[in-house]
Amino acid sequence: MPDESQLEHGQDCGNQQGKDAPRSPEPVIVMSHVWKYFGPLVALQDVNVAVQAKERIVIIGPSGSGKSTMLRAINRLETVDRGSIFINGTDITKCRDSELNHVRQNLGMVFQSFNLFPHKTVLHNLTMAPIKLLHMKKSDAEDRALALLKKVGISDKANVYPSMLSGGQQQRVAIARALAMQPSIMLFDEPTSALDPEMVGEVLDVMVNLAEDGMTMCCVTHEMGFARTVADRVIFMDHGQILEMDTPDRIFNSPRHPRLRQFLDQIL
Amino acid sequence: MAEEIKDPESKGNIVLVTEGPSIPSPEGRRIVSAWSIALFGAIATLFTLCAVWPEPYLDVVAFLPDGILTTFEVTALSICCAVPMGLITGLGRISRNTFINLTASTYVEIIRGIPLLVQIFYIYYALSKFLQVSSLTSAVVAISFCYGAYMGEVFRAGIHAIPKGQTEAARSLGFNRFQTMFYVILPQPWRTILPPVGNECIAMLKDTSLVSVMAMPDLMQRGRSFAAKTYLYFETYTIIALIYLIITLVLSKGVSIMESKLNYYDRKK
Repeated sequence: MPDESQLEHGQDCGNQQGKDAPRSPEPVIVMSHVWKYFGPLVALQDVNVAVQAKERIVIIGPSGSGKSTMLRAINRLETVDRGSIFINGTDITKCRDSELNHVRQNLGMVFQSFNLFPHKTVLHNLTMAPIKLLHMKKSDAEDRALALLKKVGISDKANVYPSMLSGGQQQRVAIARALAMQPSIMLFDEPTSALDPEMVGEVLDVMVNLAEDGMTMCCVTHEMGFARTVADRVIFMDHGQILEMDTPDRIFNSPRHPRLRQFLDQIL
Repeated sequence: MAEEIKDPESKGNIVLVTEGPSIPSPEGRRIVSAWSIALFGAIATLFTLCAVWPEPYLDVVAFLPDGILTTFEVTALSICCAVPMGLITGLGRISRNTFINLTASTYVEIIRGIPLLVQIFYIYYALSKFLQVSSLTSAVVAISFCYGAYMGEVFRAGIHAIPKGQTEAARSLGFNRFQTMFYVILPQPWRTILPPVGNECIAMLKDTSLVSVMAMPDLMQRGRSFAAKTYLYFETYTIIALIYLIITLVLSKGVSIMESKLNYYDRKK
């Protein structure tokens, strides 16, 4: 488990609001002094974050700022060079592969490029992992899958192959696929960036619903409207560093860091 | 063998693993295509020869069926051994285990550097010093070892062509490396690698003519014995060539049909 000083450090980066809010004793995600290099490039510089259960974190920043790397480090799709990352108390930078697979079952991940399995129907995309990994009965897994497809609004597409769906539909299937494992945390890596503009809304709606259900969410996105309305905290990153971490209100209305002000000026 | 080309139509890289155009492309499905000209030309020539000069040609044709069966037998057995060997070699070549990787790579390097004819001689004659095997066994072993190495490269390229996102999606769901490979990655490259694997199998059928050096009574060997008896070299080898041509053309069409069947999940609405 992380010691207190690391947790303190995690909150140093500007979240005053967190101190008076009632706080559960154990954050579900803790990144402490995380460093990552891509050759000579520093991808993550001393990243410290603690995410509470049911918290919605949105990570923003210019491209190449390390947002995706940070998100991917949370389920070890990227390994880190220094520091620790605790998911529900398990240090995934040091745990064994079998433990890691277990942790990952609890971490839903949604990718920019959907990454649905093209050789499986939508229904099989959703039932495969629960059947093989949770050893669910086929009928139970299918019931759950159909319920999830209904939730994301595409129950009529259960038996088609992903290539026959639009981008927005594919991404909603991808969200449903991640939810089929009943994770307690969902990670979104620019889920709307590969979509045509008219399809962004349908995916964001699903994510807003998920947030309202109380899912712990970490989301890398360029959708500032989503960040404003859904996030509990917004993290602004640049050059692999967390420059500001605060409520959306403060991030968007009274940004302190000059780099953040510059970034917001460019995009808003 | 494997060349990577950028397809302007799609976002990702498409790895084209092919040795040549022996399998008709979907665009070639017209009445007049190189494939149909070759096939119907060959059949017409065969029938004309037999009809006009039945004296030597029909005799040659009548002499060959046993050989065709032997050719098919050697080819079928070799495919059954070479495809699994290729798959294992391909997996070995992408293995993160240094020992397995090095073993597979060395096997490929050695086999690819020795002509198949030499390998056949080696297994049938040189190794007979230690182990007596039948000519059929040595033929199948030699061809399987040789084509296993070539197919290993095809499988390796096919697996590599699966986007990295597929692995990441599977791993993020909690599948381990093994499960990811068998449930998610391996079911996918079949349609990419079927044409080159089919190509290899057809090349293999042609290369079985080499086993005639071990006195295997295959199509080529039957032709040779007929020619040796009758001195009708021109007539015999014309027929032999036509028969090989017809077989490979029909098989390549078969591969092409299977390929389109395997594309079921990529069809747009």
